[in-house]
Amino acid sequence: MNRSILSRKEFIRNSAWALAGATLIPGMLFADEREEHAGLNSLNVNNTGKSFTLKNVRLETGFDYEDGDVVATKTGIFSVEIANGKIKKVSTGQPHADAIDVKGMLMLPSFRDMHIHLDKTFYGDKWQAVRRRTGGVKGMIALEQEILPEMLKNSTYKAEKLIELLQSKGTSFARSHVNIEPTSKLDSLRHLQKALDNKKKGFGAELVAFPQHGVFYTNTAPYLKEAAQAGVDFIGGVDPFTVDGAIEKTMDFTIQLALDHHKGIDIHLHETGESGLKTVEYLISKVNENPVLKGKTYLSHCFVLGKLDQAKQEEMAEKLGAAQIGINSTIPFGGLIMPIPMLMKHQVKVMTGNDSIVDHWNTFGTGSVLYKANMAAQLYGHNTEFGLSRMLGLATAGPLPLDDKGQQQWPKAGDAADFVLVDASCSAEAVSRLSPVKSLIYQGTVVF
Amino acid sequence: MEKTKYAPPVTGSYILKNIRLETGFIMDETGAKETRTELFCIEVSEGKITKIFTNNASLPGAIDAKGYLMLPAFSDMHVHLDKTLYSLPWQAHSPKKRSILDMIAYEQEIIPELLKTSTERAGLLIDLMQGYGTTFARTHFNVDTTSGLRSLENLQKALDNKKGSFSAELVAFPQHGCFYTDSAPLLKEAAQLDSVAFIGGVDPFGIDRNIEKVLDFTVELALDNNKGIDIHLHDGGKEGLCTIEYLAEQALKNPSLQGRTYVSHAFVLASLPSNELERIAEKLAAAKVGIVSSIPFGKLVMPVPALAKHGVNVLAGSDNIQDHWSTFGTGNMLQKANLIADLYGWRTEFDLSRTLRFATHNVLPLDNEGNMQWPKVNDSAEFVLVDASCSAEAISRISPTMAFAHQARLHWKEAERDAALGKFE
Ligand SMILES: [Zn+2]
Ligand SMILES: [Zn+2]
Repeated sequence: MNRSILSRKEFIRNSAWALAGATLIPGMLFADEREEHAGLNSLNVNNTGKSFTLKNVRLETGFDYEDGDVVATKTGIFSVEIANGKIKKVSTGQPHADAIDVKGMLMLPSFRDMHIHLDKTFYGDKWQAVRRRTGGVKGMIALEQEILPEMLKNSTYKAEKLIELLQSKGTSFARSHVNIEPTSKLDSLRHLQKALDNKKKGFGAELVAFPQHGVFYTNTAPYLKEAAQAGVDFIGGVDPFTVDGAIEKTMDFTIQLALDHHKGIDIHLHETGESGLKTVEYLISKVNENPVLKGKTYLSHCFVLGKLDQAKQEEMAEKLGAAQIGINSTIPFGGLIMPIPMLMKHQVKVMTGNDSIVDHWNTFGTGSVLYKANMAAQLYGHNTEFGLSRMLGLATAGPLPLDDKGQQQWPKAGDAADFVLVDASCSAEAVSRLSPVKSLIYQGTVVF
Repeated sequence: MEKTKYAPPVTGSYILKNIRLETGFIMDETGAKETRTELFCIEVSEGKITKIFTNNASLPGAIDAKGYLMLPAFSDMHVHLDKTLYSLPWQAHSPKKRSILDMIAYEQEIIPELLKTSTERAGLLIDLMQGYGTTFARTHFNVDTTSGLRSLENLQKALDNKKGSFSAELVAFPQHGCFYTDSAPLLKEAAQLDSVAFIGGVDPFGIDRNIEKVLDFTVELALDNNKGIDIHLHDGGKEGLCTIEYLAEQALKNPSLQGRTYVSHAFVLASLPSNELERIAEKLAAAKVGIVSSIPFGKLVMPVPALAKHGVNVLAGSDNIQDHWSTFGTGNMLQKANLIADLYGWRTEFDLSRTLRFATHNVLPLDNEGNMQWPKVNDSAEFVLVDASCSAEAISRISPTMAFAHQARLHWKEAERDAALGKFE
């Protein structure tokens, strides 16, 4: 935020400061001082695998309360030592002389996009809007069969461009679905793996083998089996009833494949009617039968949860929580609103992602999961300091600097050095104001 | 939200080359599948576009627009520039539940302090909006017994400082009621000022508990002083509806109010059954009463498509950017148009291109048939240059603004200026 019109002295004198309820933080740095800082790269840090120290790092240290409500976030200024891809030490002491001054920038866990299709995008190519289409999912499958061969020709390049977009928004990790079907075979996977290899110093990913054209509707099962041994982490799926015409046959195949190869599961489920609910219930029962799948099974979208009455929502949330099945949502608004706060209440792991950035399905993806957290905060009315600070967990896919009681829990010595430096005073501000990400560090490597 | 700086403007007469303009739709059986664009040269002189001619990439002395897309200037049609916490230390929305009357009491407490620095903050808020290409706003300013007319005076100073790069039309806004606090005399005073274009209002039932008394006062003030009307209406239920109908009836009776009477928010319209909505929409259209919305997208979704279908003029604005009411405003009208397109499912090339009107106060480069209608020779030189291939892309991808012209004064982003002007100077 631009505060440069007021000098530091004027600023402190400004009585609106106290009025705004802000606490005067010792050592607080101002925008006009921070602005000189243009990312760590300008300081010639090239330190893969090496160690370095950042000074004047702002960390959240607790909440301020008023009548029992959180009204502000306390922060302090620290030095953070990074070595061998990890955070080695967080201290308030005098830093080394060669420590890099980050001028009061707020350090947050780096962002993670937990549902995206890096392999299949128009990003980096010429603009094209979504076309009016008929034929539903099967029409889209026919369309993909037609356009994928062309899209695959430069898919490594486009994936790299997309990764650069995500990095610029503070994201250093993604769960990417990759098309596995008879048209692409394993090419979409291999092209993406190449892009990820090229970008591996600054970006990590886990991959979901995604039978976009059905497991059996097109003869994809053999390719899925092959993909399960070719470096993927999850077995994916899409609307078993709508696409394959049978819930159990597809689910049984998927689950068996995951069990045989020690993979997780992440299934796209858009169905909102009875078949949607049945699919969720079937997956819950199978995960309960095979506890090894707990904690690594996810439903993406799962729109049916947004269609249930509240009692049924509660019941399903409880069951999903007990089976440790997570929900990945793009946080839709308008037609359908997902019961995300209720899912969270029942300890369901809820994560978010951009899904499409710009492709033949959708052209609205910004690439920012901080934006997703911001939209969730608006949609669910989490507009207070506490509510906003909790929404940051959607952008980080879990980690939060403070726990619900305001105890500092991140960063700790030994944590992976995956973080962003943001021009904000606290995570609530970062979420509400979409504060710019000034630096991204991934496994101790300065991306920018 | 990143801050951006503009270089000092190019003024006087100039020619731009390599300007991208939309020239038509490329159709197939599903409709417009692409937007056709071509590069042009444009001459600007004495505040107007004086020539549009075939591109000449080697034209000496011309400013290089580098293929950026020229779009009509962006306008934010509902904002409160006078009353913002933007640029102050971060403060989230209070966890205390406050009614509208509690909020009035809270404002009475904080306004005296806020007024001490409101000119500076209005300036910074305008900077933010300009960074996204917005050069015009309809801004409400508080008229209440605490502020007197000082919120207006401070805002006018900020607008004076921005002369030549930003303009606004002002709404005298009795945030604390006309009669609930004794603001009516102040409103009368404000209504006589040339700088004030609209008489505002807020929830005649919710605050003053008397719809007719407040609206009669407002309408009379507008008529006596030849102003428009733009009232905030959050009231739901039959009171909300009654307020809208009564105002529409006043506009039907007084043609001079038509085309310049607006209801901001009008949340009650979101809860009407479709036949009732249709009846009201027709009435609003007949009375030429517009609706201004910040486009809520949670539990309450405004029936923007139905209103537009019946010919109601629907405008969009940021409303709160960062203040004690809300902290989520981006100040970016392309982002607002993007949200509208996403919310209402306007995703095709054609639908996206139509959604641009929410950012440009209804000006569109192409008409619905794809005929070029903007810019034309003699149009005032009010435009933005965005890094996009067409307006559909600009909406969907929230493309960055590279430059804008306001009153023909061409402002380049600092980082862009040298490349554009290198040969020009
Ligand atoms: Zn997906
Ligand atoms: Zn307002």
